[in-house]
Amino acid sequence: MSTPAVHLSNISFSANGITILENISLSLEAGHFIGIVGPNGAGKSTILSIIAGLIQPDHGHIDLMGQCLKRFNRHRLLKQIGYLHQLHDHEPHLPLTVREVVSMGLPNYGAPLWIPLRAEKKVLDALSFLDMQSHIDADFRSLSGGQRQCVRIARALVRKPEILLLDEPSAAMDSKRQQQLYALLRELCDREKTTVIMVEHDIAAITAHVDSVACLNKHIHYHAMKGEQIPEDIWHSMYGDHMHVIAHDHGCIGCQPVQNEACVDACMDEKS
Amino acid sequence: MNLLQQFFLSPVMQEILLPSFLIALIASSMSVMVLAHRLSFLTVGVSHTSLAGLGIAVMLSLPLLPTATVLAVVIALLLAVLPKRQGITEDTGTGLLFAGSMALGIILISKASKQDVDLFGLLFGNILTITSDELHWLLVIGSAIMLMFITMGRSWWSIAFDPVTAFAEGMRTSALRLFLYGAVGLSVIMCVKLAGIVLTTGMLVLPAACAWFWGRSLLSLWLFSVLFAGFGTASGMILSYAQDWPSGATIVMVLCVFFLSSWGMSWLMQHRHKL
Repeated sequence: MSTPAVHLSNISFSANGITILENISLSLEAGHFIGIVGPNGAGKSTILSIIAGLIQPDHGHIDLMGQCLKRFNRHRLLKQIGYLHQLHDHEPHLPLTVREVVSMGLPNYGAPLWIPLRAEKKVLDALSFLDMQSHIDADFRSLSGGQRQCVRIARALVRKPEILLLDEPSAAMDSKRQQQLYALLRELCDREKTTVIMVEHDIAAITAHVDSVACLNKHIHYHAMKGEQIPEDIWHSMYGDHMHVIAHDHGCIGCQPVQNEACVDACMDEKS
Repeated sequence: MNLLQQFFLSPVMQEILLPSFLIALIASSMSVMVLAHRLSFLTVGVSHTSLAGLGIAVMLSLPLLPTATVLAVVIALLLAVLPKRQGITEDTGTGLLFAGSMALGIILISKASKQDVDLFGLLFGNILTITSDELHWLLVIGSAIMLMFITMGRSWWSIAFDPVTAFAEGMRTSALRLFLYGAVGLSVIMCVKLAGIVLTTGMLVLPAACAWFWGRSLLSLWLFSVLFAGFGTASGMILSYAQDWPSGATIVMVLCVFFLSSWGMSWLMQHRHKL
């Protein structure tokens, strides 16, 4: 059996006396695409921050590409990770072209100024992947929210990461672009064997593309693989009894298929 | 002989041109980072510690510039570390150290004899009084700053834009931040000699503020910032020579005019289709 790309073992984390994560264990092979869903405050972003080395867990350990993530090797291991967070509210308005923002993701971006980056093709490839190549010379500040998000994703991709951590990547994107993004990520997993861990709220939108869905609320309530159904009581234990799972198409992970074949979108709806 | 010939042939001006342009180069380079990291108030705080540096140097009979340099770097590093650890905001920490060091400086200087202290030169700058020892010292710290800027400039820029992602991408953000604050502390000391405590912030903010309207990347911002500082220093020196104005204040005034012109031109270019 090959070494897992990401292996979390009994991860626990608390802040200010409040338990955020409890006994999280997860093992993902290279090329696996996992979606993490859960209510607000479930610890979805925290788990990504722990894998990205931003915060230290209270207990447990993390193996990335077969190596234990420690303080001394963190910077070396993280060079192989692409990360997109969702805290962009305080992003300063620096005068930057899209080209420079994407270049920041290159592993050698921090090289001395006399060394040219020679990364035009890599930057263009990353932007083309998201259909943003025509904006390469645009001022980042002039882009729309969705376009900026695409540029940030291109920054995460430009380093050709082994592991891609995405915290709500579809935020500010329209539904068409969302679906394009998930399809592209699927392609990335299949073609480049990139392991993608993606936090999303909209399970309906992701289930057709991911290999598995982890239902997280402090701990992993259920980890459903492709073709597997998530029992309704799992949704209730995560979101409460007022949630009602209503529909699904046949190829997706998650909910019970309904009798009505015309209803193809999976969604969760509040009981009226 | 016209004014320019007189200016360039004047022995005093020939002596101060090199240090003035060296200071302009350093200040304009670091001003890009000062603006990107929003460290303008830090430069105010650290420049005022020079007064405490002067007081300590006079009381202990130490050389002024090295004493002030050490104190400025220590204060800058404390400001990089303490607010984060002690849970106080950075501007509160800067305000505290600024007021404390200023008070210490005033007390120490009040005890020193008047002939030991060039208070006017320290407050408002006087490049004309630069000694060869001071010039050598400025060359040493100027080289250290430029070395840090060239080797870490891109990383500082990336951290200014998105520190969380920079850290997650494997950058040593804490260490880089310490070097940045240290370099800002050293730059402040260089500028105090030219522009004085009161106007140092102008030298460390205005060149990049002018360039902000024209640059679209770190390199183009840096280039524009250096050009603005170079032209500002040259025109300010000539103007101060012609009008017998204080050189530091004149340079800062010229840079203010450059800033307003850049702002106006940028606004006109953005709104020309509406006019």
